[in-house]
Amino acid sequence: MKLARPVRRTPPETIIALIDVVFFLLVFFMLVGRMDATSPFEVLPAEARTGADLPAGGTMVSVGAEGALALDGHATGADALVARVTAMLADRPDLMVRINAHKDARLTHVLPLVARIEAAGARDVMLIVTPGGG
Amino acid sequence: MKLARRQPARPLISLVPMIDVMLILLVFFMVTSTYLNLDMIPFVERRDEAPAPTATAGEDTATMLVRISADGRTYLRGRELDPDMLGRAVRERLTGNPLLSVVVLPSTRATTQQLVSTLETLTRAGATRVRLMRLEAAE
Repeated sequence: MKLARPVRRTPPETIIALIDVVFFLLVFFMLVGRMDATSPFEVLPAEARTGADLPAGGTMVSVGAEGALALDGHATGADALVARVTAMLADRPDLMVRINAHKDARLTHVLPLVARIEAAGARDVMLIVTPGGG
Repeated sequence: MKLARRQPARPLISLVPMIDVMLILLVFFMVTSTYLNLDMIPFVERRDEAPAPTATAGEDTATMLVRISADGRTYLRGRELDPDMLGRAVRERLTGNPLLSVVVLPSTRATTQQLVSTLETLTRAGATRVRLMRLEAAE
């Protein structure tokens, strides 16, 4: 009697290749993305082609299109924000303050705030812009 | 005679939990990161060196005042200039005086984009000493 030889199962796709791909994706997203605190409202920075590279670190003040304020992702009022930044500056006098203002935010919401932050002793205040546009 | 069946070699560490962890990390980084390319324009710069030069009586021509109106148009000495003309005017003045300092006075009702665009025009024209006139908070 001739027994049918059991059909050999084809081996499943090698799982190593899958791990490689996932690992590449992981490293890619880690390098490309920025782990910033996002503001509770939408902030589209102004566009400029002459901006310098944004250094990492520091604290971020977000200004919404209608003047809403947030410090490091938490919505706050102007006085509380300045008080908080002042306290941070007392801890670290060289603290970098990044102003992330919506491109349609009126300057009356931005510049007096910058002046107050500067008066609080900040020596490194910058406005976040995004490259591109006209 | 009984033949011992060879046990297939088991992998030391199962790969499946590792893939799970990596996928979770991957999704975490994809979701939490922001992918907007960001640059910056300094507002207040660390001035460890000499303080900003103060204009004396003889240097009053070395300063140029650019106003930005509420609707974002730029004015130089009361004349409205579009960005191209403003850039040209600044470039002309810079050839005579490379240390020309440009003071920008924006209306409080202008938007951030309008200020940034004007600053960009000035920077591209070659002005290195651009300053923003402080707005007093009128509330």
